[in-house]
Amino acid sequence: MTIEASRLFDVGLMTLLVLCALAVVRTKDLLAAAIIFSAYSLVMCLVWDHRGAPDVAMTEAAVGAGVTTVLFLLAIGKTVRREK
Amino acid sequence: MIGALWSNFDYAVSVVLFLIGLYCVIAKNNLIKKFMGLNIMETSVFAFIVAIGVVDRGSAPIMGPGARGPFVNPIPQALILTGIVVAVSTTALALSLIVRVWHQCGTIEADELRELE
Amino acid sequence: MKKALIIALLAVAAIPLLAAMASMPRFGSPEQPAYTHVASRYLQKGAEEAGADNVVTGVILNYRGFDTNGEVTVIFTACAATAAVLVTSGSRKKEKPGEATVPLSPVVGYVVRLLAPFIALFAFYVVLFGEVSPGGGFQGGTIFAALIIILSVVAGRNVAERVLPARVRPWLQIAGPLSFIAVGTLGAVLTGSYLGFPHARGLLATAMLMGIELGIGIGGATVFASIFWRLGDEP
Repeated sequence: MTIEASRLFDVGLMTLLVLCALAVVRTKDLLAAAIIFSAYSLVMCLVWDHRGAPDVAMTEAAVGAGVTTVLFLLAIGKTVRREK
Repeated sequence: MIGALWSNFDYAVSVVLFLIGLYCVIAKNNLIKKFMGLNIMETSVFAFIVAIGVVDRGSAPIMGPGARGPFVNPIPQALILTGIVVAVSTTALALSLIVRVWHQCGTIEADELRELE
Repeated sequence: MKKALIIALLAVAAIPLLAAMASMPRFGSPEQPAYTHVASRYLQKGAEEAGADNVVTGVILNYRGFDTNGEVTVIFTACAATAAVLVTSGSRKKEKPGEATVPLSPVVGYVVRLLAPFIALFAFYVVLFGEVSPGGGFQGGTIFAALIIILSVVAGRNVAERVLPARVRPWLQIAGPLSFIAVGTLGAVLTGSYLGFPHARGLLATAMLMGIELGIGIGGATVFASIFWRLGDEP
């Protein structure tokens, strides 16, 4: 079976998604984890734009990568940076 | 089954992401980390529902001059828009509760909190 | 040990989930049930019936207006609950006007000040053109909230708070639900049902959609900026 370029792009993005999620789980430094989570959201936003859902992609870019990350950063700033 | 999973690749990735998020929620002790896991679970469910709406070679459901079908299904997208907003609302509330817990108890590790009682 | 047990349990849970995914209709198939019933009707008639070229906006504001009405109430409730949880002592630490909370490179400050009007313009564009292009009230509102957040980081909170003065802020926070109720009642007067839109493509229907979009945008922006400030006020 032949694999089209668009499919290959999908597979690459999906691999990146899983890697980002694993990195969020494995990172002990919460600040780094929050930034990786932001990157995860941005990759998800690319996936959705490629799926023909630009509205959802835009919301995810603004909310998931923007506001959620900012809130996480604030909460980490008010509490502790490293998990035990 | 492998062939079916390959053609339903998106769905399989959603399941994997969901399980990674679930692992983070169950196994991690830090409350903020648990919420990152919960956010991963949420996005995986969103990805799954958006994937249900996709059709082959579909373009975004925006009509108007020059738009040519097939279009992808707009209903899952509308649902997910609502879902993302509710997700960030719960995250904001949960994080403010966590900050409050930190002020009251001086720790945000779940097992230490359990010992405090 | 505990970790290994959890991973084993999740691996067991993965088997039925993956099996279910394998037996779903093929990804992207136009014959799948989700695509063949109500979706095709929305796609064929949606642009005329809902009064918006962007069918997603049409579904959100018109076909499923109740859903979105609940959603904007949820955002407002989150804001109110955050305010209730984080009861600060009222007087926050005095900030010297215009002083940033963290030392920043002058490049960042200059670039943010340069870009601020353009970001605001983009936010309004996203809100007002939500009917014909991707975007809408919520996305635009969040972009505007991001602008306020970055301003309060770079230029200090006093500058950012001038955009949303404390006197009108409570009204702006509830702008989403209020605009929904206003437009819904207007619809009830015009068509006899709450959130009913007068038939299609008229100027009035577009104006009503636009009113809701603006309300959601202003409400969303204010709510997120308020949550950010409230969380930042905590010692």
